[in-house]
Amino acid sequence: MNKAILFLLLLICTTTMVMSEGQKENSSNKVKLVFTSWRTEDIDRMNRINKTFTKQHPNIEIDFQPIKDTEYDAQLKQSLAAGTGADIIFLRSYDSGYQIYKTDSLIDLNKMIPELDSFPKAAVDAWSTPENIHYGIPAAGVVHGVYYRKSIFEKYNLPIPKTWNEFITICNTLQSKGETVFAQGTKDNWMLYEVIYSGLGANFYGGEEARQRLLSKEAHITDTNFLTAFEKINELKEFFPERFEGIDYVTMQQIFGTGNAAMFIGGSWEIGIFEDLGGLDDVGYFAPPVAEDGDLLQYCFHVDAGVAMNKNTKYPEEAKLYMTWLASPEFAQLYMNELPGFFSYTPGEYELTNKLAKEMESYVPGSEATVRTVWEKLSAQAPSGNELMGEAIQKMYAGELTPNEAAEYVDKGLSWYYE
Amino acid sequence: MKYSLFTGDGLIPDNFVGLDNFVSLFTEKRYYSKFWNAFGNNIKFFFIVTIVQNVFGFLMAVLITRPFKGNKTVRKISFLPTTLSVLVVGYIFKLILNPYYGVFDNFLALIGLKEFILPWLGDPRTALPVVAFAVSWQFFGESVLFYTSGIDSIDRSIIEAAKIDGAGIWREMIHIILPSILPIVGIVTILIFIGDFTQFDIIFAMTGTRGDPSYSTDLFGSLFYRTAFASSERGGWGTGMGAAVATMMFIIVSMGVGGFLYFFSKKKEGYDK
Repeated sequence: MNKAILFLLLLICTTTMVMSEGQKENSSNKVKLVFTSWRTEDIDRMNRINKTFTKQHPNIEIDFQPIKDTEYDAQLKQSLAAGTGADIIFLRSYDSGYQIYKTDSLIDLNKMIPELDSFPKAAVDAWSTPENIHYGIPAAGVVHGVYYRKSIFEKYNLPIPKTWNEFITICNTLQSKGETVFAQGTKDNWMLYEVIYSGLGANFYGGEEARQRLLSKEAHITDTNFLTAFEKINELKEFFPERFEGIDYVTMQQIFGTGNAAMFIGGSWEIGIFEDLGGLDDVGYFAPPVAEDGDLLQYCFHVDAGVAMNKNTKYPEEAKLYMTWLASPEFAQLYMNELPGFFSYTPGEYELTNKLAKEMESYVPGSEATVRTVWEKLSAQAPSGNELMGEAIQKMYAGELTPNEAAEYVDKGLSWYYE
Repeated sequence: MKYSLFTGDGLIPDNFVGLDNFVSLFTEKRYYSKFWNAFGNNIKFFFIVTIVQNVFGFLMAVLITRPFKGNKTVRKISFLPTTLSVLVVGYIFKLILNPYYGVFDNFLALIGLKEFILPWLGDPRTALPVVAFAVSWQFFGESVLFYTSGIDSIDRSIIEAAKIDGAGIWREMIHIILPSILPIVGIVTILIFIGDFTQFDIIFAMTGTRGDPSYSTDLFGSLFYRTAFASSERGGWGTGMGAAVATMMFIIVSMGVGGFLYFFSKKKEGYDK
């Protein structure tokens, strides 16, 4: 009797499962493409962007599944190796992305996305092999500069500085009036190199031309121009808040975002954070001050995010269709509106809706674009240029190293590159 | 351990290199400088945690096993932090010690100790002891629990006899309590040792996986995580090298545990004689 009941239950369960599977197959021919990224804060914004695509292609659903920044690289490698990787992948630039490509997990885009030929070459190169195989669509770049509080500047009738001397004069004025000049802290060292040195230092070391000389091994970070950049950013130390050594990245964003400091040296990606913290009405932006009046601005416009396609996707046709859309001006416009501070490389005419993003972009035509100083090639192995720069500048701000010693520290660590 | 013998770009290294990863780890400065730095930090970390948890935990246990009103409540309260997540403890300490809005600096200023205010987690001299203190604070109750249960199990008549013979609290501790609970001291020390040499969470929460500032809080746990899983730009060495670090961690922990077991068994034998 018991056996008969058990058999009946099993039969019911099995039939229900088979029927429900069949219904899924019949009721939706929808294909779900998984899209992964390291920016967990973008879920709602990316979902709104993807809705536009799904409207045009109702059978394709995009499931945006970001993973925490610090876990992203490991998780991506692991999932691709296990054959469970996302169909569409946000890829970091240069060596990080190239390491993923070398696992033979990404599709070549040269023929698939012919539009790449019209993208800026420098951006496409950030996701290309030395043999010129493109494996990523350049999706977004970010700029580095100085945010300021309009109300504090207006209170003391301060102008927007164009040169370094004007910048320092403003810092002195603000300090003498008892204001917290910068929200900057040095506990998280990546910011010191990626934003302060690469952003503000580029005007002193000579921007892209100097960076190319580093890459071709003709120059060293101890050369006078790079050393001057160390010295200049070291001048800002006296304007940092008390016990700045213990202030981390989040705290500095909060200090500035809540109106408790006059300036914040930051990246364009921070627009959304400041919007959430206290609104953008009182927030202004200016590009890194040049060394002398009339100098051409060396603007750090860093290639930040590319998009790649998993070679082993179950839905290659649908993924290809979506990738083509990602390389279109329509996506670029939606992306820049939803994520102000991220600038698209897709050729086209765009209207930016965010005032701060517009301000940041307004400096581009009159400038020479460059990327972070030692990001490309010089960070391909340990000890990476990125790490060394962060460590050296942190030690310099802590008073453990002079600017000269900081440059030597980096150069010594980079000996593997020059061998 | 298997992956420590391989190298490659992916998460699963597939190019067999024998012991090359270990040779690189101990002969190339870029690797061994970070490895020995983490080892040294781990030793300091273990030393501080052991002092706080073992010495103060033992003294606290002796105190609360004395008959006084409220000793049971003290026992319960001392165990409360152990029930919290390490990450929560880390973030709480980070907030308390924040130089801009943390309450600790305000408290020091309030009691007239303004000159002692420091960027606690931003200064390489103070960051590691502060992190060690946070861990000790959390697991202090665990040591107290072990020691109180050990002290409670001592035959009261021995202690009473010693008291009649005129032994004070100091002699009682040294000659009766400590020898009786020596195996527990050994267990607590071994648990602290294993916990500290595989510690990751508190570093992740308080100073980040780079062991900021200037790798002064980099322990084996954070070193392994960074070297095995981060991209090269963020301090990664590849999975093969990361596995070599993990293998060395395993060897050091095993040797340490073996050493402590031997030390405490010899010590116990000495007391038994």
